[in-house]
Amino acid sequence: MTKEEKREFIKGILFTSPWLIGFSIFVIYPVVASFCYSFCYYSVIQPPRFIGLLNYKDLLTDPIFWKSLWNTFYFVIFMIPLGFVASLSLAMLLNTKVRGMAFYRMIFFVPSLVPMVAGSILWMWIFNGEYGLLNNFLIKMGIPNPPNWLMDVNFAKPAIIIMSLWGLGQTIVIYLAGLQDVPVALIEAADLDGANWFDKLWNITIPMISPVIYFNVIMAIIGGFQIFSQAYIMTGGGPQRSTTFYALYLYQTAFEDLRMGYASAMAWILFVVILILTMLVQRISKESVYYHGG
Amino acid sequence: MPQGKGIKFITYLALTACSVVFALPFAWVIVTSLKPVEQTMTMPPTWIPKTYYIESAGKKLEVKKGIVTHEAGAILTVEEGPREGERLFVPNSQLKDGKALLQVQIADKVVQGYYPVDIEKEVQPGWIQVIEKLPAQYEKTEPYWTFVPPGKIVEKVKFWLRNYLDVFVKIPFLNYAKNTLIVCILGVIGTTFTSALVAYGFARIRWKGRDFIFMLTLSSMMIPFAVVMVPLYGVFKAFGWIGTLQPLWFPYVFGTAFNIFLLKQFFMTIPRDLTDAARVDGCNEFEIFWRIILPLSKPALTVVALFHFLYAWNDFMGPLIFLTNKDTYTLSLGLQVFQSQHGGTEWHLLMAASAMVILPILVMFFFAQKTFIQGVALTGLKE
Amino acid sequence: MKKLVVFLFATFLAFQSAGCADKEQNSDTVKVTYWEKWSGFEADAMQAVIDLFNSRKFRNKDGKMIRVEMSTVSEIDRRLLTAVAGGNPPDVAGVWTWIVTTYAEKGALLPIDDHLREAAITEDRYIPVFWEICRYKGKMWGLPSTPASVALHWNKRLFREAGLDPNTPPLSIQEFDEMAEKLTLIKLPGQDKAISFYELKTRTNYKNLLGQGMIIQMGFLPSEPGWWPWSWGYWFGGKLWDGKEKVTADGPGNVKAYEWIRSYSEKYGVENIKRFSSSFGAFASPQNAFLSSKVAMVREGVWMYNFIDKYATGMDWAAAPFPSDGGKLKDVTYAEADILVIPRGARHPGEAFKFISFVNTQEAMELLCEGQRKFTPLKNVSEDFYARHKNPYIRVFRALAESPNAFITPKMVIWQEYLRELNFAYEMTRDLKAEPKKILSDVNKTMQKRLERELEMSKRSGEKR
Repeated sequence: MTKEEKREFIKGILFTSPWLIGFSIFVIYPVVASFCYSFCYYSVIQPPRFIGLLNYKDLLTDPIFWKSLWNTFYFVIFMIPLGFVASLSLAMLLNTKVRGMAFYRMIFFVPSLVPMVAGSILWMWIFNGEYGLLNNFLIKMGIPNPPNWLMDVNFAKPAIIIMSLWGLGQTIVIYLAGLQDVPVALIEAADLDGANWFDKLWNITIPMISPVIYFNVIMAIIGGFQIFSQAYIMTGGGPQRSTTFYALYLYQTAFEDLRMGYASAMAWILFVVILILTMLVQRISKESVYYHGG
Repeated sequence: MPQGKGIKFITYLALTACSVVFALPFAWVIVTSLKPVEQTMTMPPTWIPKTYYIESAGKKLEVKKGIVTHEAGAILTVEEGPREGERLFVPNSQLKDGKALLQVQIADKVVQGYYPVDIEKEVQPGWIQVIEKLPAQYEKTEPYWTFVPPGKIVEKVKFWLRNYLDVFVKIPFLNYAKNTLIVCILGVIGTTFTSALVAYGFARIRWKGRDFIFMLTLSSMMIPFAVVMVPLYGVFKAFGWIGTLQPLWFPYVFGTAFNIFLLKQFFMTIPRDLTDAARVDGCNEFEIFWRIILPLSKPALTVVALFHFLYAWNDFMGPLIFLTNKDTYTLSLGLQVFQSQHGGTEWHLLMAASAMVILPILVMFFFAQKTFIQGVALTGLKE
Repeated sequence: MKKLVVFLFATFLAFQSAGCADKEQNSDTVKVTYWEKWSGFEADAMQAVIDLFNSRKFRNKDGKMIRVEMSTVSEIDRRLLTAVAGGNPPDVAGVWTWIVTTYAEKGALLPIDDHLREAAITEDRYIPVFWEICRYKGKMWGLPSTPASVALHWNKRLFREAGLDPNTPPLSIQEFDEMAEKLTLIKLPGQDKAISFYELKTRTNYKNLLGQGMIIQMGFLPSEPGWWPWSWGYWFGGKLWDGKEKVTADGPGNVKAYEWIRSYSEKYGVENIKRFSSSFGAFASPQNAFLSSKVAMVREGVWMYNFIDKYATGMDWAAAPFPSDGGKLKDVTYAEADILVIPRGARHPGEAFKFISFVNTQEAMELLCEGQRKFTPLKNVSEDFYARHKNPYIRVFRALAESPNAFITPKMVIWQEYLRELNFAYEMTRDLKAEPKKILSDVNKTMQKRLERELEMSKRSGEKR
């Protein structure tokens, strides 16, 4: 290290030191502990006992493990693009100059404030096969036999995706903040050049907010793989395990079956999966994310 | 920016349509909070809280609806036997010569026989049972009930504002609110400042190992809480903090991965020229952070503060695990009291309490979002 | 940079002083903390018992006064687990039946045998099944508080309307199924009056008619309310395991039970049933399938009376033992109880037991069980208790619990997993997605493997001790 490098290093460490301390105590330690548990038979109450790779070996032949992994992938694969389109277009709507915008923005943020239990119960009503608001609407739109959402193997996951789309308030706000940073001058210049709406979106807005998109996509991956509450409250993993998501199964093994070691092994596999995906996104983003400063 | 009246109209239309969808749950929470419990879980859902009353002996009696009878019968009082004094409804098929076929318990056996009764009122098929509405769900006194023809029941819109008062009777709402605020405010102050500091270290200083540590930070967000929960419990136990509010805000004082990530992204968009100029003027790194970066990042800091506030306000898992003493409960945990398994949830109270939990943050957001706009306006990024 | 250091140091100091240890009680009382899982009227009933206990001013061995304080705790199983693991549990907890096995096996509970001996509390005071619930591996891990058993509940009005005798319950599953057919009403398109399935069955091509029509009432639905789907085998003479090391999920009784579940879907049609059942409201509401007279017969616990009282006041109903296959087994029921346990690491186990034993006196138990509207698990019951009790069929439930055919949750360490597997098999069977025999044998294989692994682990830890 040169002198200059040393000085920067010390500065960097100093600035990040609060985090480094907190990170070690509240993140690294528990994570390392759980890594050790993943090689143990551990019921939380009794001291862990080393059993080598047994947990990982059992996982490979556990059909529910694979099923839950598939369910979670399904959710993430649909949720990310849909969530991106939905939240960005809503953010763009909310970025227009119309009267009463403060009110509209507040409305879109409401779902993320409603307590999970109340929100889930509401959606159970909306999805109800006979009286549900959604099916009543669909019948009026001329669809004669709408699915019985939460009770149908093929529609339970889409139902949960729809509900998750509704809870995107925070993502919308982040996009909104990003959109407001797009220089008006650029748009005006494009207008002068006679660019249409789509050109402006594709060539100016999206590149300008690409750091925000990157941020939101990473958060969506992380959040998507940890989907839990909706399934826990609304379906309990059914029908026929179609909504047994990874985090739900992990919760069950850890706190219902008291197999903390097994659950820790599951957590680590999930961790590696997300890590790989995040690195992929980061690689892509290196090429396409634009920073003013950098 | 869309121009012209047509586009503006479409924008309004789209906004309004989406708003309806998004506002539905909140409307439902409010509506439910203004209903009596028996109207909360009806199928199909109803949107208007109502009250029913009948005229009884010249007086208005507030009632709730019970079953609809499909057979003719009579309301009567048993005059003799083990069930003497009981007032009940018996269908005509079980009535004979002023006697009713009744089941009675004698010793360990359930047997049936005819017992003399005093008939009070004949009931026709299609009549609706009405039950006197008592203030609480389970009262020691028996409510009065009778059957009346459907036309006799008068329906009126009534908002049951009383539910809101009942919340304060049922739970120490203000105490829970105080605890929640402590957790929220300390957490917000701590995490906003520290996360900004740390994010600066990641965004604006080039140092060895930075990318690696940042990667670690990022990946820490991917660890399910369920798994670190148990070791974390051990940590707080070692500190002697189980049952206190500290575990709910103290860890965030060291910054949180999410906020650091968010702020780092924002800091990276601030042009280097701005800070380089200050450096030439002799500012040290902390002064640059304090005098230039922070003022420029007001909108981002608002977002972070708001998000953490929300998180702490709604957090359920943390309080569930770390709080063992009722005096330190937070609101989200306190709401659980309204849920009971075999007695059924008291939806009206749960929703009234939820509404009171939601409203303050809603108001806060309403005003905070103005700061976004102002903040963005004065960042001076648009060279 | 100076400012930063000062700031950090100041915050550090501030938080140092903020952490404080819990305050100790004043010295002449011992505070016993009790975690209750119920809220609402059940919790009120328990509070009444606690008030009674506190008013008696019991003293411990050192002459200090014992005072019980109750907190209502949601998701008690998980919180108890973390509290025990963290070494900060309550002195007494009221838990679900299944928790005893798992938590005793994992060493989260204290055995109470010595206390029982000292207090001379013996098995013969209890209805056998409830003593049995508290026992695991030869030791006692708690005492019951309020018990429950399940029975057939039926709607007498619908019986009358279907031309059945409202006072005679079915005595065998076969009789039951026939009654259910008579109680199932189908509305055919273009017709005003609904006809019963029993009648429809006699027409040619009735399956087609059924598809066109709409079910408006059912005699019985296995999925209503759909609780304990794993347990049907017991009404068919089945068992879920041998009590030691062998899983018997695919035994003939269980297969027969699942085939019976399947028969309902085949008879009435999966889609028809689904459409019909989506008109039910939440369980605790007037739109509950049974309370709104949409389903005429259900298998429910002693608590159902509370819901009838609250959401369908005045409903004409009755309860009797749920019939068994061919009527061969008499009085089959599932019995469960809330159990008072002392977690490992409790600070005042002696005082905790004092409270538990107080709850198990006839006086306190009757106060509690009347308040929670259940029967008592104690052999001695005062006539007064029955006279005051609001549930007119309380003796039916009590008699069921006393029956030799009352069964309890299998005491398996892997119960929660087994339960999920059986529920899955049930869903697949109900939706005609799997053959009962095949899927139950799959369950059997998976669970046998899991059980063997747990037994091996348990043995290994036994050697280590």
